[in-house]
Amino acid sequence: MAANKDNFKEVIELLRRMWLIRAFEEKVSSLYAERQIVGLLHLGIGQEAVAVGALSLLRNDDYVYGGHRSHGHAIAKGADMNKLMAEIAGRATGYCGGKGGSMHIVAKECGFMTATGVVGGTIPLALGAAFASKERKKGQLAVVFFGDGAGQAGPFHESLNIASLWRLPVVFICENNGYAEFTPLSAHTKIERLAQHAKTYGIPASTVDGNDLFAVRDAMTKAVASCRAGKGPVFIECLTHRMRGHYEGDPAKYRELSQLAEWKKKDPIARVARALKSKKAFTDAQLEAIEMEARALADKATEFSLASPWPSEFDVDSQVYAVT
Amino acid sequence: MLPTLPRDHLLELCRRMFVIRHFEESLVPLHDKGVFAGHYHLYVGQEATGVPALACLRADDYLFTTHRNHGHLLARGAEPKRLFAEILGRVDGLNKGKGGSFHSVAPSLGFLHSSGVVAGIIPLSTGTAYAAKAQKNGRITVCLFGDGSLEEGAAPEAFNLASLLKLPLLFLCENNGKYGPGRAVAAAQSSSMAAYPLTDLPKAYKIPAQQIDGIDAGVVHATISEAVAKIRRGEGPQFVEAQTVRYPGSETNWPTVPAPTDTALAWDVGSVPEKAREWYRSADPLLVYVRELVEASQATRGEIAAIELQVRTEIAAAVEFAVNSPFPKLEEAERGFFA
Amino acid sequence: MRDLAYFEAKFEALDEIMTADERVHLINGTFLSLSPHRHVYQNLQKKFRERMIAPPISELGFCGLATGAAMAGLRPIVDLSTGSFIYEAWPQVANEAANAFSMSGGQTRVPVVFHLFHGLRGGGAAQHSGSPQAMLWNVPGLEIVIPSSPRDVKGLLKTAVASDNPTIFVDHTRLLDIRGEVPENDKPIPFGVADIKRAGGDVTLIATSYTVQVCLGAAAKLANEGIDVEVVDPRTLVPFDLATILSSVEKTHRVVIADETHQSCGVAAEIAARIAETGFDKLKTRIRRVSTLDVPVPYSPPLEAHIGPTESRIMDAVRAAVA
Repeated sequence: MAANKDNFKEVIELLRRMWLIRAFEEKVSSLYAERQIVGLLHLGIGQEAVAVGALSLLRNDDYVYGGHRSHGHAIAKGADMNKLMAEIAGRATGYCGGKGGSMHIVAKECGFMTATGVVGGTIPLALGAAFASKERKKGQLAVVFFGDGAGQAGPFHESLNIASLWRLPVVFICENNGYAEFTPLSAHTKIERLAQHAKTYGIPASTVDGNDLFAVRDAMTKAVASCRAGKGPVFIECLTHRMRGHYEGDPAKYRELSQLAEWKKKDPIARVARALKSKKAFTDAQLEAIEMEARALADKATEFSLASPWPSEFDVDSQVYAVT
Repeated sequence: MLPTLPRDHLLELCRRMFVIRHFEESLVPLHDKGVFAGHYHLYVGQEATGVPALACLRADDYLFTTHRNHGHLLARGAEPKRLFAEILGRVDGLNKGKGGSFHSVAPSLGFLHSSGVVAGIIPLSTGTAYAAKAQKNGRITVCLFGDGSLEEGAAPEAFNLASLLKLPLLFLCENNGKYGPGRAVAAAQSSSMAAYPLTDLPKAYKIPAQQIDGIDAGVVHATISEAVAKIRRGEGPQFVEAQTVRYPGSETNWPTVPAPTDTALAWDVGSVPEKAREWYRSADPLLVYVRELVEASQATRGEIAAIELQVRTEIAAAVEFAVNSPFPKLEEAERGFFA
Repeated sequence: MRDLAYFEAKFEALDEIMTADERVHLINGTFLSLSPHRHVYQNLQKKFRERMIAPPISELGFCGLATGAAMAGLRPIVDLSTGSFIYEAWPQVANEAANAFSMSGGQTRVPVVFHLFHGLRGGGAAQHSGSPQAMLWNVPGLEIVIPSSPRDVKGLLKTAVASDNPTIFVDHTRLLDIRGEVPENDKPIPFGVADIKRAGGDVTLIATSYTVQVCLGAAAKLANEGIDVEVVDPRTLVPFDLATILSSVEKTHRVVIADETHQSCGVAAEIAARIAETGFDKLKTRIRRVSTLDVPVPYSPPLEAHIGPTESRIMDAVRAAVA
């Protein structure tokens, strides 16, 4: 895909979604700095092209599984930003009633099944959703996001094997940002490209520039078509970077990141904007309007969250077991 | 092909193969008569892998094996009577009756642990290799497992660690999953492993890997010798997949002996039930080895028959020893789990 | 006597242990967690770099590696970091390491230490707040060590490394900054010896890990209400010192057990059962447990704060015991 006169509207919409994620994450970051949000927080700033490029092609009834860095995935799948922010802030109005928090987002209504705090923890779960999809024969598929750190985990390999053997409609999306927690990938394995592992199990695999929205879309377009046609799993490795540390430790500096010149060169949002502007489809004013609108929605989500009540003590043992 | 070894070594390999064969065959009636209970797994059909491979090792190298461990222990020189006693749960067993077939060990021979969990020993083998490297004692570790282990996440995790840390570790995968007659084991993808050939799995971690005919004692010996030498030179881990044809007696849930082994079968399988005949004719590594010894004039049929007779006698005495060994005292159940 | 922070005492222990025995290797290394103190761990790296490895995210794999290395004569300390991650390594811990010595008939020793941080940490949510020691207590063959003070962490870590058995070292991030006395030439603390952290005559309050500190706070407040609480810290679950506890019960006749493992089959459950079986006639009132509720740990801060063995729940239980 590239920006051209036939798809400007579409591209602008994708850009808008990327800005939603960006604005949301930056807002969450500042709330964390103010200690309005506590615990472990992992932001996907810089990785928006992967979420939007991939998930914009899915149906509502397709299943998406994430990892610990999944706010963007949820938003890209259609999650309500208010309920998402409230969950991250631990409020009763959050998607999980405050029970899950940042790493355990569930927005079932739009098909975002769950995130996880365990590296690679949702990969086997995605297999299950794909298995059910195959049985149901409605053309549904499952997508699971994980990082390069998951490539060394046993369940990742077991899942590749099973998905391949049973030709399950699952798209494995690896966001290879070169770092597993605090160490570079090279300290964890001699393999540089996780797509290689998929090929070992006979799964078609590609490695793309994860900061290029169009490259991600193209790869995902093929993957979705293949899955829906019953051809089995596909693996897409997206090379990207996270502009933060692994987790939020001292986020005060990061609010200024968007302004840094070097950032702008790699920034996936800036790249799409440049592509649009180069085709004269887009003005700076329009870009700014998109940013402002996104920030307004993020602010609204913040207001909503901070005004929401905390969950009550009496809810502590609700929803531990389902009642039939 | 025969290993390139002096005659007396070749005959010793033959003897050990017979020891394994007659040991394993003796277990079946013992189990069926109720002398011991629990699952057990026979190494029949894989003797030409275990015996020549383990002959390449030093006395102080480490070995890890699985539930199919009898052949490995015996190939390395464990006393048949102590292994019988262990399988029978008797106090004179290798583990004093505490382990049984699944967990038989012989630390003096390098076997520190056997696991009944598929791939359970694979991570452990990276540990002894790590320790040997840290202690600079030149010991290598051989991890013996089957094709099924590669389906467990533990295996790629271990490959990654072994390659990353350049561990002195030999992964010897005995793929006995080939069904069908013939020695030149052709490609056959497993229904439970999408990667094919299996060597692609270690190769993904840049671990040198090769597939060999596990029925050919000479190829096994040459390949393992070379792999071991590379590891000792500090070149890091190696992987060898040795392919064999599954023993007909191991096809059912509980082992059976379709035809009791005898040197004579090497030349006439007429007495073997038809269903199993082809296996004995062309895929039985022991009989192949026997034929090769004779064809290469390293031994006469009579000499081999004599070796076998001695082994039969030894095995019979070992069974007797085990059956007469007492069970451990009941108090032992509550002891010996903390050092 | 020196006054040290818990993390200082722990670092000192590691330094002394690694200096004394070159067989000790550290596998994975978030011993000081994500705390501001991880620089102290970096100092260790300067001295012992070749004996410290940072493996990939493969808990099953590297716990197996540590176990195998122990079988071959090293004495590794392997760090699982967040306690819940031991679930990734469970087969190697519970099915291999725990069983090896017994099922080999005593031939294969496994001197490995599995280190982890358990419990409610503040915003950890369900998957980062586990306290697996109760489940591990149900696996024969594992020693379980659980310190609560700077002196204890130093003395117990030494014994854990010296032990020839697989040992689970259960730590807590909320202990890292507490301060306490550590003797100059401290000795290793033997396993199976409980410690009276606060002597008292009215109620025996038994706790482990960070909950000991919570209990000491509760005891100070209860003293103002005229209730004299004896706080007993088992320090090791396996082996377990029942005798010290029974002596205390003999004195007070009243027992409250506070623990961060969940209530069902938790640490408090087992201790209660042992006291009931052997000291029933000494009791004047039923045993009371204050455990984390049987719910997956919720993320939201007020909910998380509510479900654990809090100071107020502990104080209520003690008051009920003397009422």
